[in-house]
Amino acid sequence: MNRTTHVAPKGPVTATHVLSARAVTKSFQIGDRKLEILHGVDLALGRGELVSLMGSSGAGKSTFLHILGLLESPTSGEVFIEGRCAWKLPVQERAAIRNQKLGFVFQFYHLLAELDAVENVLLPAMILHGRGAYLGRRKALREKARSLLAKFGLDHRLEHRPAQLSGGERQRVALARALFLDPPILIADEPTGNLDSATGEKVLELLLTEQKERELTLLLVTHDERIASRCRRVVRMQDGRILSDGDERRA
Amino acid sequence: MYKTFLSWRYLFARRTNWIGIAGIFLGVGAMILILSIMSGFLGETRAAVRGSLADLVIRPDFRERADGKTLAPEPERLLAAVRADPRVAGASAQLSWFGVITVKGEEEDTRLILSDPQFSKQSGVNLVGIDVADEFQTSELKKALEREPLQGRMDTRVADVEHPFARPPDYHPRGRPYPSVIVGEQLARNWLLRPGSEITIYVPPAGVSIDKLSSETVNNLSYVVAGTFRTQENEMDLGTIYFERDELSRFLGRELEYSQVLVRLHDYAKDGLAVKAALNEQLIASNLLRGTRSMRTGELVEVNTWEEQRGTLLGAIENERVLMAIMLSLVVLVAAFTIFAILSMMVTEKRRDIGILCALGATPGGIQALFLFIALWDAVLGATAGAVAGVWLAWKIDPFERWLSATFHVEIFRRDVYLFDHLPAIVDPRGVASIVLGAFLCTLVFAFVPAWRAGRMHPLDALRHE
Repeated sequence: MNRTTHVAPKGPVTATHVLSARAVTKSFQIGDRKLEILHGVDLALGRGELVSLMGSSGAGKSTFLHILGLLESPTSGEVFIEGRCAWKLPVQERAAIRNQKLGFVFQFYHLLAELDAVENVLLPAMILHGRGAYLGRRKALREKARSLLAKFGLDHRLEHRPAQLSGGERQRVALARALFLDPPILIADEPTGNLDSATGEKVLELLLTEQKERELTLLLVTHDERIASRCRRVVRMQDGRILSDGDERRA
Repeated sequence: MYKTFLSWRYLFARRTNWIGIAGIFLGVGAMILILSIMSGFLGETRAAVRGSLADLVIRPDFRERADGKTLAPEPERLLAAVRADPRVAGASAQLSWFGVITVKGEEEDTRLILSDPQFSKQSGVNLVGIDVADEFQTSELKKALEREPLQGRMDTRVADVEHPFARPPDYHPRGRPYPSVIVGEQLARNWLLRPGSEITIYVPPAGVSIDKLSSETVNNLSYVVAGTFRTQENEMDLGTIYFERDELSRFLGRELEYSQVLVRLHDYAKDGLAVKAALNEQLIASNLLRGTRSMRTGELVEVNTWEEQRGTLLGAIENERVLMAIMLSLVVLVAAFTIFAILSMMVTEKRRDIGILCALGATPGGIQALFLFIALWDAVLGATAGAVAGVWLAWKIDPFERWLSATFHVEIFRRDVYLFDHLPAIVDPRGVASIVLGAFLCTLVFAFVPAWRAGRMHPLDALRHE
């Protein structure tokens, strides 16, 4: 038996548990009032699993997602990423996990306005490597970024800045950026929420294709039942708790 | 890698950064230029002041001592004792006194001259008696005699520098010729004197107490101007007349033979203070100096270095330089403050970017470094350009000033006020380095606060900010 910190919910962490959370709570102090948002949430995702997280606004899904993504600390509970208890690690190592193990796709794309598409995609690599190491492999990295963007249908948009791109194009650049360092986990926070349905459908298609090809562990937060219906496993949250967790297509 | 890359990108994306760079540029450039000019002035003034003095000045105190003895009135024994020191290159005796000068033919009743402070045709002057051969070996009188007149002025120099007190060639007196004197160039200009001009000098006789002064006791004698000298030190050139020492002593009724001895050393920088101490000890022991001490500091006062002799003037210029440096560092401070403001603005503006970088794996330290880098570029660009411009302008200041003056028809540098032919500037590499370094430190210290704030920003607050 491993030490308790290395134990994920429902038995020991196995190689299949890439991302897991145990008894995560989060509360905010507002004046004298304590606002509890998460009341002990458990979740474990295996390698290559596609899971959608659903819930009405205020259910706590965004907060939970940020805790899983190491952007916000839990009040109590633990998050394991490839078996490591992430919130107990020093801040630099947590940053390294965000850099190499987690990919993020946000609703509002969050691209850097001063950089063109290729440079935006290269950002994770720039953060990973020091100057010497980066300049040494600059050519190879740029080539990789270009081909990734080309694969996403943006080969004519490589040198464009975000302001010159459409919403769908921006989200595809954001996806390329998230996948650039080949992370095992991708967290997508309503990736189509800001797009019209046709464009959203295309982006979603791309996302699901990549998930399958790369055997990504993809946690997809959405409002949209139609999107959820394309995932084998759906987790529903309400009032800071998990309401249901399972394959809804069998039901 | 992203720190260098993004900081550089942000620098160019935000035009406001150029204000900070321009501020640093102006501050550093102005500081280097103006301090170089001040250094130049200090250097020229030191040279000018020193020119009329030597390395050491001995002023014996002729008052009666407690044991009833007084010092010998002749300088010969003192000169011999000083010259005996192997570190001494030369020594000369001077007799200095004071008097009032009027132009020959325009003098009126002596009584009127001495009693009316409004009487315009008179001027107080220092009278200095010298032994030419000795003087040439100690002070820079010879250079002052040879020095070209100030731009555009009449040449009134003596005919023969080796014999400056020789009768001027164009002087053809009706009666007995007057003895010759050499006057300062500024004095000559103010009084419209030229070689051959006759002047009358009034002196209170030495050895007569002040309450006995009257028109009867005041001596007056007439002299002819042999030529002018130019030390470039205003005080000297405006109010000094050189006599042959024997002539001045005669004029003063042989009460005094000399009042001071100038000493030139082989190596003043090395031996100056040591020789001063040695001379003090030796000359007091052999009764050539009285051993008078300052009432205030208790130090021996009869032997001084030239810097002590002119300490106030040199101190004033040095002090001006320091004041200038302080005032100009305020410019740099303001520039650094501008950078602080711009950077603070940028941190707020780039909140979302900070959150994105965090999500992509940047550490708080990395984010902080990113914003410090922006300030660093500001400092590098501003200070380097400022240093280059400042040094270049300091180097070319004289032609530049002439050009400015000619273009705008204003005399920016009054050559007749400062008595220098050119606007002097000395670029001190160490000074430049410390100014640049100071600008760097100043900028980084000011930039630290916004950068620190950026590093501490909560990534989620930053991301939520839409």
